[in-house]
Amino acid sequence: MLKTRNDRTRPRLGLNLSVQGKKQAYSGPPDVRSLLEALGENSTYVNVRINGEVLDRRDFEKISLHEGDRIDFLYFMGGGIV
Amino acid sequence: MFNLSEEEIERYSRHIILPEVGGGGQQKLKQSSVLVIGAGGLGSPALLYLTAAGVGRIGVIEDDVVDLTNLQRQVLHATPDVGKAKAKSASETMQRLNPHVEIDIHQHRLTKNNIFDIIESYDVIVDGVDNFPTRYLLNDACVMKNKTLVEGGILRFMGLIMSIRGGDTACYRCVFEEPPPPGTVPSCAEAGVLGAVAGVVGTLQATEVLKILTGIGKPLYNRLLQFDAEELRFHEVKAKRNPGCPVCGKKPSITELVEYDYACETQAPKP
Ligand SMILES: [Zn+2]
Repeated sequence: MLKTRNDRTRPRLGLNLSVQGKKQAYSGPPDVRSLLEALGENSTYVNVRINGEVLDRRDFEKISLHEGDRIDFLYFMGGGIV
Repeated sequence: MFNLSEEEIERYSRHIILPEVGGGGQQKLKQSSVLVIGAGGLGSPALLYLTAAGVGRIGVIEDDVVDLTNLQRQVLHATPDVGKAKAKSASETMQRLNPHVEIDIHQHRLTKNNIFDIIESYDVIVDGVDNFPTRYLLNDACVMKNKTLVEGGILRFMGLIMSIRGGDTACYRCVFEEPPPPGTVPSCAEAGVLGAVAGVVGTLQATEVLKILTGIGKPLYNRLLQFDAEELRFHEVKAKRNPGCPVCGKKPSITELVEYDYACETQAPKP
């Protein structure tokens, strides 16, 4: 399912994304981990969905971003001891 | 048996005057029962509003003691309550607020051995727990027993709310399949939380419960609402029932309750 996303050969062009329902221009490396870093999100406690699909947290750096992607961050909020 | 007295009709008059609630809706609340897990940051506002609203029977599960650091957000408890059992402090405050409400106190921790018995007699369950193991245990139990659960979580300046009709709408694991690896997600104790954010989320949970009990409006089923206090924004994410969900999916791998370890060394569920 994620195969089409695993291609890192895309040129580094600016992307127009929708992040948390807000338009976001992004020109960093087109992978999820870099986007998280650029936005100051901690990739160890956020789940990410692209266009409604939940991503495997271990694959963030392998998953590439595409023009128009809708990205949602889902934060773990347990409040707790874990 | 569930008729409202003159005093109750006056007390709840601002509810009853709402055409969507009316005398019938208020009676439904009186006939209903709600269980709130935790009388802390989320449980405090949720319990206060459910008590004020006249839910007939309210259960509270809490085994902790009031600490001075709780008072910044846990508005059920006051300065003289420091050192007192939270369950006792909670029931005193609730009783003072509304003597028409029957209060069940469960002064122990929720475990896989007692959870089914405890949740069985309540119409709706509110998650106000402070840790991931209990959060997952509660989700799984509500899915297995087809109970309605109103989820809530807070951290720093953020909050999350989601309503779940167990076995029917998307559950917590449909979105967050497994607990985060131990130690990766800071607790409120480590990372802090703005007290009023707990108020927002706990009050939204109470709102959801009152809607569900009276059949008003559209509950937050199959939707996850995230609250960002810094920007004062709500962001809604659609949540679908996940066919691969380990507890409510097509081939669930969790068919018996599991308890994740509280300790940080291991993530493996206890057998
Ligand atoms: Zn599920």
